[in-house]
Amino acid sequence: MTGDVERYLVVGALLFVLGALGFITRRNLIVLMLSAEMMLHGVSLTLVAFSRVHHNLEGQAFTIFMLTVAACEAGLALALTLALYQKSNSLDIELWTDLREADLPPPMLADDAKQPPFVPPGPMSFPQLTPAGHAPDIRRAIESGLVDDAGSPTDESPTESPKPSDVIKTANRY
Amino acid sequence: MPRAVVRPKAVGLLLSLAGTALLGWRVDDFSSSIEESVMFWLFAATAIVSAILMITNRNPVYSALWFAVVTLSVCGLFLLQFAPFLAAATIVVYAGAIVVTFVFVIMLAQQSGATTYDQRSRQPLVATIAAFVLLATIVGTLQYASESSRGSSNLEEGRPQVAAADAANPFSQVAANESLGHMRALGRSLFGDYLFAVELAGTLLLVATIGAIAIAPRRRRGTL
Repeated sequence: MTGDVERYLVVGALLFVLGALGFITRRNLIVLMLSAEMMLHGVSLTLVAFSRVHHNLEGQAFTIFMLTVAACEAGLALALTLALYQKSNSLDIELWTDLREADLPPPMLADDAKQPPFVPPGPMSFPQLTPAGHAPDIRRAIESGLVDDAGSPTDESPTESPKPSDVIKTANRY
Repeated sequence: MPRAVVRPKAVGLLLSLAGTALLGWRVDDFSSSIEESVMFWLFAATAIVSAILMITNRNPVYSALWFAVVTLSVCGLFLLQFAPFLAAATIVVYAGAIVVTFVFVIMLAQQSGATTYDQRSRQPLVATIAAFVLLATIVGTLQYASESSRGSSNLEEGRPQVAAADAANPFSQVAANESLGHMRALGRSLFGDYLFAVELAGTLLLVATIGAIAIAPRRRRGTL
């Protein structure tokens, strides 16, 4: 299998198979549509390779029509995805398995109903900070003159101590 | 594939490297020029690695970005195959419009944090075995067709002659003073042989636009 064109065909087949694999296994509606678009990429690569083999432009013209249909499909699919998201508040494809034929057995659901969601290490799991220290006492800081009424620290010591009613009013503001 | 138990990734990496090396050794072409071979292996490796990363990533935003990388690599392969207009059109349509639309939909519809359906895939082992069976079928068919076409005698300067297609689509043939990558030839093919199909594609775009506007959920009255 040594040929100038066969290797492009092999790359096209690999892209098609990877897209099919993603379409079968993934459950996010958006990733499903992306996988379908990648299958279209594999097919268009194959068509362009055939156009080169036959040395005419039918394959390239056909690929342009594939591009058109893919754009239509993406627009419609994204509108459908938004509609489904607004109905179920989730992008999970398995929420819609009730749409299958009535005489079919239930599909093989992933066993995530009884287990807690798996949170992977990495940038998607946010760190949980341990609460430390205690909240600062603003009233005492104002009484001792370390901060003024606006909350910023004063650089000179106060000439007169504020009246207690002012202090209470300021503390209530916080 | 995302699964509940994170398997050691080195095993999968070694297996895929071995498979790629085997497949590459089978399909490598020692007759083409070294520049084209280098460019081909660069684009092909980028496309396949990005495709694997796209279908295995747990975050759909990263999946969309890897899909853009796949699109750019496929456009590089288009350029290597004398299709510059297709490469430009694919970049504009896919990387410029479709990926941006996908990212917008992710922004509109994505829940915060890690979701369950992105962490667990559905039957990853069985699906992977089925995909490998499909790949073996396609590659085996390719090899069989390649050997049988090499054995037959209708090869003239490396390409088969298709007489029926020549008669059916006269405008799609490459003229004597043009190469395959000429945009003039592609336009002549589109608006000569496929004129009705072009009109039909325009109508399809219009219908799809109307349908998308009709399907898309509209907001309630008075809300922004």
